[in-house]
Amino acid sequence: MAHDDFRSFLAAINASGDSLSIDQQIDWDQELSGIGRLSCERNGPAFMFDNIKDYSGWRIATNPIATWRRMAVAFGLPADTHVRQLYDVYAEREQRPIPPVIVKDGPCKEVVIAGDRVDLFDLPVPMVHEGDGGRYLGTWDLVVSKDARSDWVNWGMYRFMIHNERLLTGFPRPTSHLGKMLLDGYVPQKRAMPIAIAIGCDCLSHLAAAATFRIAGNEADLAGGLRGQPVELVKCETSDLYVPASAEIVIEAEVYPDRVNQEGPYGEYPGYRSGEMGNAICARVSAITHRRDPILTLDTTGFMDSSATSTSISGAIAIRRRLEANAVPVTAVYVPPEGGVHMAIVAVRRGGAEVAQKVLNVLTVRRALISKIIVVDEDVDVFNMAAVVHAFATKCHPGRGIHVTRYQGRANTLTPAYDQEERVARSGASVALDATWPPEWPRDGTPVRATLDSMYAPEVQRRVLERWSALGLK
Amino acid sequence: MAREFETFARDSAPLLCGHEVVITLRDLSPGRKKYRGLNVRAVVSRPPRPGEATLWIRSVVGNRDPQPCSVRIVEELPEAFEGVPYSDFFEAMQRMEQR
Repeated sequence: MAHDDFRSFLAAINASGDSLSIDQQIDWDQELSGIGRLSCERNGPAFMFDNIKDYSGWRIATNPIATWRRMAVAFGLPADTHVRQLYDVYAEREQRPIPPVIVKDGPCKEVVIAGDRVDLFDLPVPMVHEGDGGRYLGTWDLVVSKDARSDWVNWGMYRFMIHNERLLTGFPRPTSHLGKMLLDGYVPQKRAMPIAIAIGCDCLSHLAAAATFRIAGNEADLAGGLRGQPVELVKCETSDLYVPASAEIVIEAEVYPDRVNQEGPYGEYPGYRSGEMGNAICARVSAITHRRDPILTLDTTGFMDSSATSTSISGAIAIRRRLEANAVPVTAVYVPPEGGVHMAIVAVRRGGAEVAQKVLNVLTVRRALISKIIVVDEDVDVFNMAAVVHAFATKCHPGRGIHVTRYQGRANTLTPAYDQEERVARSGASVALDATWPPEWPRDGTPVRATLDSMYAPEVQRRVLERWSALGLK
Repeated sequence: MAREFETFARDSAPLLCGHEVVITLRDLSPGRKKYRGLNVRAVVSRPPRPGEATLWIRSVVGNRDPQPCSVRIVEELPEAFEGVPYSDFFEAMQRMEQR
């Protein structure tokens, strides 16, 4: 069963040996995030910092589910659960959404600060990387917004930076669901859009917020499905939005329909600071509520952060469903976290140029966050990157196997390969690398892979595996 | 201790023209409010002028120009610039500069 709140998750990863507490004083200005960053790069533990310079009484927890072990614990599974099984569990639970329930009160209301008493510098918001545009409050958050013309409530995970005591700037992309709500429903009416930034909720609610999810879908229902029980929501102090009652901290704000300010640059999930600054949103904070003895959550954004694992799992399932809906003969999809959410491995029953091109078209029609797609035959284990690289290196024709599509207005502006002009125009390209055998090749002329499972008689395979086990090898 | 600020620019040359420019400063004074933002009309000088606050210029990917400048704040501006969400922040500052 999933955890009730972030604190019970912390207790579980502590018990599984996947977290460390640090009680020596640590500087919020780069030092703290530097430790978290190194941990991501070395597949290390989550950290709980109990003693933060300038911020007595506050705690910061880093990179909650940046490893598959911690992701497994978040799902209520043993820490050593294989990633393939995590994908299966996500896909199964995603199909059984559970709507949230409204409660009158919750731990996130233990301390309420509203109006002129609000001061964002009272929160121990770290300077994540040297050279960032400012201090980032929203790195592992859950941002609630509501469509102006329907009941659609969006949860997203978007970055927010402190400008001054009450002003935030943020970068939910214009192609994001929040961006769409703002530009379609509020800006034309010159209305401010209420948002609520919830920090330190149960991990599966954050996973749902970060998920690739359909337009007009309520991620709170998805979170309930992933948890196997409804999320309890409580009403905000200064708007009609509802937030998870167990959140450690909630920032209530209104996005201006007619104001901009500096946002970024920021070292982002692809693993670079790409100079995407200059076009963002600007929000004024109306209230802060938090638990007593609060914990700020921080994803030390960059290579192999929490967004890499969370988008790996939700993105891959979403890709698979979209391909299935478009009659692509897909058998498995993997988004390797090492690819910074820029690469997907797609296995198909029957490959060839036509299928590769179709995969590319389906995955770039609206938003094009993934720009490299390797298409493999179904006998390649998509979770085994050695097997994928082998298939790509040997089966992808260097001329005929490369399929490129270019687009305007929907490219991923965080893709480091794009120049400033492309970033501003949101123009880009995606490529499908076809590592499948052409279906028109006769079976007798198709190369046979020289591996134990392909080039040996079944009886020999059986004997080899028996001897292997008898030798105590895994 | 003399105050220090930093600012971000797509192109630093216009900042160093010797005239008043509109920029967003980040206050580097130590303490809880380090990195607080401040929109100002100011004159930037390189080499730094004695008695003025130090200013460091960073590029849009966050690299700091190793040559320091100084900044004289002429006027504090409102905390945000006019512009629809996602419009170019640097152009919004330019519009304010031309007023």
